[in-house]
Amino acid sequence: MTSRQRLQATLRHEQPDRIPVDFGATGTTGIHVSIVAGLRDYYGLEKRSVKVHEPYQMLGFIEDDLRDAMGLDVEGVFSPKTMFGFPAKEWKPFRLWDRQDILVPVDFNTTTDANGDLLIYPEGDLSAPPSGRMPRGGHFFDTIIRQEAIDEDHLDPAQNLEEFGPISDDDVAHYREAGAYAAASRWGVIAGIPGTYLGDIALVPAPFLKHPKGIRDITEWYVSTRSRRGYIHKMFEKQVEYAFGNLARVHAAAGDGAFDAVFVCGADFGTQTSTFCSVATFRELWQPYYQQINGWIHRNTRWKTFKHSCGAVEKLIPSFIESGFDILNPVQCSASGMDPRHLKRTYGPSLVFWGGGVDTQKTLPFGTPAEVRREVLERCEVFSRDGGFVFSSIHNLQACTPVPNVVAMLDAVREFNQGPTGD
Amino acid sequence: MADAKTLYDAIVAGDTKAALTAARAALDAGVDPVELVSRQMIPAMDEVGRLFACEEYFVPELLLASRAMKGALELVRPLLTASGVEPVGRVVIGTVEGDLHDIGKNLVASMLEGAGFEIIDLGADVPPARFIQAIQEKNADIACLSALLTVTMPAMRGTIEAIRQAGIRDRVKVLVGGAPVTQQYAEEIGADGYSDNASGAVGLVRKLMGISVQPE
Repeated sequence: MTSRQRLQATLRHEQPDRIPVDFGATGTTGIHVSIVAGLRDYYGLEKRSVKVHEPYQMLGFIEDDLRDAMGLDVEGVFSPKTMFGFPAKEWKPFRLWDRQDILVPVDFNTTTDANGDLLIYPEGDLSAPPSGRMPRGGHFFDTIIRQEAIDEDHLDPAQNLEEFGPISDDDVAHYREAGAYAAASRWGVIAGIPGTYLGDIALVPAPFLKHPKGIRDITEWYVSTRSRRGYIHKMFEKQVEYAFGNLARVHAAAGDGAFDAVFVCGADFGTQTSTFCSVATFRELWQPYYQQINGWIHRNTRWKTFKHSCGAVEKLIPSFIESGFDILNPVQCSASGMDPRHLKRTYGPSLVFWGGGVDTQKTLPFGTPAEVRREVLERCEVFSRDGGFVFSSIHNLQACTPVPNVVAMLDAVREFNQGPTGD
Repeated sequence: MADAKTLYDAIVAGDTKAALTAARAALDAGVDPVELVSRQMIPAMDEVGRLFACEEYFVPELLLASRAMKGALELVRPLLTASGVEPVGRVVIGTVEGDLHDIGKNLVASMLEGAGFEIIDLGADVPPARFIQAIQEKNADIACLSALLTVTMPAMRGTIEAIRQAGIRDRVKVLVGGAPVTQQYAEEIGADGYSDNASGAVGLVRKLMGISVQPE
């Protein structure tokens, strides 16, 4: 099987020749730029500065030689613009706090504040208020909340829709070019698509906008899911309307065979121990809109739909399935109720698990290579039966993760794939 | 007491406007502010914590109730201060150095404030020296350290070590919390306690300080 056939079989819940592996194809299965550099060194690849394709989380671009060395099967088509509103192109050198030399997009423009923190600007416009901050010595950015005073009497859902309008001709051209490339790819392909994120808390502050309006404070947004439901319903209704138009244009431009899966929404619904809302609230406030989006995709394309949600979301999984999601990521097995065996037994026939391969809060950053190996082999054993499992860690590989542990993880997947009855 | 009872209900319902109206009405009617806090506001936040624990309430409801409580407390606090009422304890709280995340920390601070504690909130990205300074200056009983990131968790260990080196470790209880933190990690770095949620943190602080909740 080629990597692409392997992913496609997996997404059809058929047993592939081996477990497909993804690192770097999405913003939630990515690798911090410092670890990408460490892996390039480990595998003895050509010395070159690693490109940061997503500056918010400082995710490094996985080039073909590293993808081969790591044994990966999936590549990503990313949105036309990064979280800070500029495209990931026209590279320039940049030096991290630890003196690692990397490449960043030409509009990655920063200043340093009095505290020594790094500030980054929407669309690279230094005349706009900064929208991201990396603490001195830090590894990635956090959004700077730019919340204007809220006037309840004049709060208009349109203010929260600035980023969700019809996409530009340039964006359509981006998907046309990406589609032509992806259609011929030997790897499986997952694409980021525009405007289908419903209340993703990472996007609510809109670090890509120069002067965001509406509800942009994270706490205010969470509160609004309880106290301003009418506002959010109106916002989601309009957002879905825009999404239909944009999806049609992206699909026409990229072609139906270009992408195997699309990243529909990254809104987190789980904490470590519970959910951010009740099942009833999810079914009232999110599910109808997810059903519309996923329904459009399933009626009009061959794409499988990918839902990211961290945390203890076991109680919501039946609703995710009813919402039309085909794939769940990152499968946070360390959270309450997220026992791998229970998840696979109960939801495996309906849902592809894309993640869950190893814990990134404890085992991978702080464990030994032997502990990593043991956990990876256990997870592969549980999740791989009857297909429906794309190996990845539980969310991105963070900065400071020991490279020997990452290698132990990849070696363990290879070991499982070559097991007693494997090839 | 009809108005004061409304304050309890308003806080549990997370209705800030109603909470302010009820608090003003109660104070205007001559209700003792200490009684308002101890018999209405603290029990209301305890009820919110109970509803959270049994998953009738979630983070948004917790945030709304905290806002209502804080709004009412703004009206009551000057009267408490004027009458020389001491808080049940003093808590220094902050997100550790290198970490900018503060929503969980803010929620813990609000819940503790609602339970009658004085909160010295140092914000986010707090170096160990600022924790030490605040503990000393405010004679704090409790220090709460928060971290959301695996890469900033080690700063908790460093902060506890700095508190020890400053010679004040034995006079302050240190609690830790945040998404990647576990009970095991708390024990490894020498913290006195860990909670995985804001409501649980209140119970933990009370336990560490030997405070029992009066049954209504």
